[in-house]
Amino acid sequence: MTLVFDNLRKQYGNNVAIDAVSTRFEPGLIHGIIGPNGAGKSTLINMTAGSYTVSAGSISLDDRKLSGLKKYQIANAGIARTYQNIRLFDQMTVLENLEVCFYPQEVGQTWKEVIWPPFAKKREARRQDACMELLSFFNLQGYAHAYAGSLPYGRQRMLEIARALVTNPKVLLLDEPAAGLNHHETAELTAKLSELKSQNRVMIIVEHDMDLVMALCDRIVVMHHGKLLFQGTPGEVQASSDVQLAYLGTANDIDDIKAAAQDRRAQLGIRTRQRS
Amino acid sequence: MSSTDTTMQSIPRTGRLVPIVVFIVAIALIALTPFLGNYYIRVVNGLLIYILLGIGLNIVIGYAGLLDLGFVAFYAVGAYTYGLLASAQLGIHLPFLLIVLIAALLGMLVGILLGVPVLKLRGDYLAIVTLGFGEIIRILVNNVDWLTGGPKGIARLDKASIFGIEIARPVDFYWLLLVTVFIVATIVWRMEKSILGKAWAAIREDQDAARGIGINTTNAKLAAFATSATIGSIAGVIFAASQRFVSPESFSLQESVLIVLMIVIGGIGNILGIIAGAAILILLPEVLREFAEWRILFLGLLMIALIILRPAGIVPRSFGPERLIRGLFGK
Amino acid sequence: MLGTIIQQTVNALTIGSIYALIALGYTMVYGVLRMINFAHGEMFMLGAYAAFLGLSIFIGDIGGAGAFALTAIFFGAVIAVGLVGVGIERIAYKPLRNSTRLAPMLSSLGVSLSLVTGIQILAGPQPVGFPSFFPATRLDVLGGTVTLVQIGILIAAFVLMFGLYMLVNRSRAGIIVRAVSESRPTAQLLGINVNLAISLVFFSGPLLGAAGGILYASYYGIMSPSMGAVIGLKAFTAAILGGIGSIPGAMLGSFILAFVEVAGTALLPIVSGGILGTEYRDVLSFTILILVLLVRPAGILGTPVSEESMVYKREF
Repeated sequence: MTLVFDNLRKQYGNNVAIDAVSTRFEPGLIHGIIGPNGAGKSTLINMTAGSYTVSAGSISLDDRKLSGLKKYQIANAGIARTYQNIRLFDQMTVLENLEVCFYPQEVGQTWKEVIWPPFAKKREARRQDACMELLSFFNLQGYAHAYAGSLPYGRQRMLEIARALVTNPKVLLLDEPAAGLNHHETAELTAKLSELKSQNRVMIIVEHDMDLVMALCDRIVVMHHGKLLFQGTPGEVQASSDVQLAYLGTANDIDDIKAAAQDRRAQLGIRTRQRS
Repeated sequence: MSSTDTTMQSIPRTGRLVPIVVFIVAIALIALTPFLGNYYIRVVNGLLIYILLGIGLNIVIGYAGLLDLGFVAFYAVGAYTYGLLASAQLGIHLPFLLIVLIAALLGMLVGILLGVPVLKLRGDYLAIVTLGFGEIIRILVNNVDWLTGGPKGIARLDKASIFGIEIARPVDFYWLLLVTVFIVATIVWRMEKSILGKAWAAIREDQDAARGIGINTTNAKLAAFATSATIGSIAGVIFAASQRFVSPESFSLQESVLIVLMIVIGGIGNILGIIAGAAILILLPEVLREFAEWRILFLGLLMIALIILRPAGIVPRSFGPERLIRGLFGK
Repeated sequence: MLGTIIQQTVNALTIGSIYALIALGYTMVYGVLRMINFAHGEMFMLGAYAAFLGLSIFIGDIGGAGAFALTAIFFGAVIAVGLVGVGIERIAYKPLRNSTRLAPMLSSLGVSLSLVTGIQILAGPQPVGFPSFFPATRLDVLGGTVTLVQIGILIAAFVLMFGLYMLVNRSRAGIIVRAVSESRPTAQLLGINVNLAISLVFFSGPLLGAAGGILYASYYGIMSPSMGAVIGLKAFTAAILGGIGSIPGAMLGSFILAFVEVAGTALLPIVSGGILGTEYRDVLSFTILILVLLVRPAGILGTPVSEESMVYKREF
């Protein structure tokens, strides 16, 4: 159960957003994707989940090619995701938000659910039991019958992750799960995510919160200008001079900029005020 | 997290008073209607047909969140199915129940045929395309004279009968409609509670996220469209049988708008709301009979006012059949 | 043959320019509010009724009216309808601006219903004869008959459209409207008076629509409370065909639709061997509408919005 990107490319007109990205994501590990803004991190997630089409190359899970499938087919192949901007079903209850995920497995017998109430009842109970278990894991059981849209922001983030987990997906894609969370909530999220690590699941996190990424991830992919810049363990990433370059520029760069500014000031006759 | 106790009540559980009052009033009205004069029974029959139409259209608008402005086309399909298969027009005289079955299948078929190309669009474009389809069907009916009788319509339709019992008097249709409304409302309500109904709600809330959890949105929307078309078509058959006359006039664009209006006034997405909306829409003009021409104007203004002041309609979505039942049997 | 072609071309241009006047209103409203204004066809109808009212109050007998008086009534009527448009927006759409996308559309359905029945109550539901604003002189152009009414309609429509073009592209008010069409939130952040821009659109759109109504009623010599419904739908088709939100698109789409209709009306009975008569003209228009929406929803001049960049959120 391995998610493989093979020579992946995404292009808008002449603008190349993702260029020749090849990598593998193994189960049982938490993979982080990091990079400066506009590096193509979210694009990778959106392509994997089928929200964006793939311009060239392929995405496959084990031997099954995912790229080119419709979004719902990709979801049914075992890819679940969360969104950068939370996208819950606001006017449905928290419980219903999870229950509806059983649709692909259960829709075939809708007619039976309609004409035979005991069957519907039994089925609903089974669905709800499974969902309540997941809600308890995320400490959301108290909200079960509240509308999802009425939940506090942090709870909505948790609910979205819970929704992604209902069908026990093979690949879990988390697009900036900690965005907008406070310190306390981020800590809770980190704890829950590390508990979710499983031999049967590939987990991929796109995140700006470096503390979270370094604490949680086993492998990190660094993106830069749509290209894969570096991949390795958190330690290797932190030590990599390439990564430092991408994020900070080099020390030389900074000295050059300072020197140029000095020259310009001299030209204009501005005296540099010394900082005390 | 210790929020269990407070948040459980986010959806309020009102007392049992309202459901019991609603239930008693409904039973009383149902039981009293047959003793009214024929004129009033006809008014109630009209109300029941609109309730049927409202329940059908609400599947698409209220549950799946798709604005369909051409619903009246399916109503016309049903009415003309009866008109053609139970009259001298083609010389065919099939039994009523068989025609209901044929019309239901035909309605479903037309729903699917229209739905396949149309349902890729959404929101405003869907509204305008369904509106266009509705007009096309009306123009066709108006002009294919050799089949539909053109603007004159088809008159002298057969009297309906079920298992040898003739259905001809208004009170007969009253019972037929009452049973039909009850069966259809129950089935639709159970569909709403089913996993398919939940998928409809998810599509209404966020179509893209619905795809993201594995819902084949095209199929789910098609199911909504087809179910709604089937109900519209059945309503058309009963309408034609009770009038014993069909003509294109009954299927104007305004009719579609009135059904949408009824849903919006009563409460989008709620069967009880639709009953309330239909009651206002049908009974109000009867009350205001001296001001007949003012009624549509009044309804139009009411629609604007309600959308602005009470966008969820008169009956809130949360006060659905389930609450009524729960209130009655104390669970 | 040449005469027929000239005559049919002028017919198409006449109808096309009336469609264009109405289509512009749809497209501008869609541009600023992303909403389909179902009540816009009624502005067309109101224009004809307002002009008729003006004529019967101030002139009585159209035969004796001078060109100046007629022009004054024409502009008086269209400005009055423009103000009605602004008022409707304030009352029925503005409170819903932050509501779901479909709420203002449902509201506009209510407005449409109210206006049609309101006029039915005031003026009666039956069609009324409309005195032409132009002398009924016929000219013979290379064997085809062209009426002065048609020429007058073409001139009036082009003057109005040119005026709109100048307003949108060459004036400060136009810049405000265009900014709000691009992005309402950004315009708001930049301190642009969004309400002013929306009011301007809801003034000029109904104004042009009303002008279309007067010209249409002059052309056919008849008006009725329900005249706005079908023609509104067709003008909307034209707006979509050209690319909704695009002003040149609305004009282009209108003329294309008019030419297709005129050609279709002439050819349908011939091609189908007499089975499909001219009454199927409207079916043809709606079929075009549906095909355009299915094949290229962005229209001819509109920018295609890719599925990927669209955020679907609930509309109810």
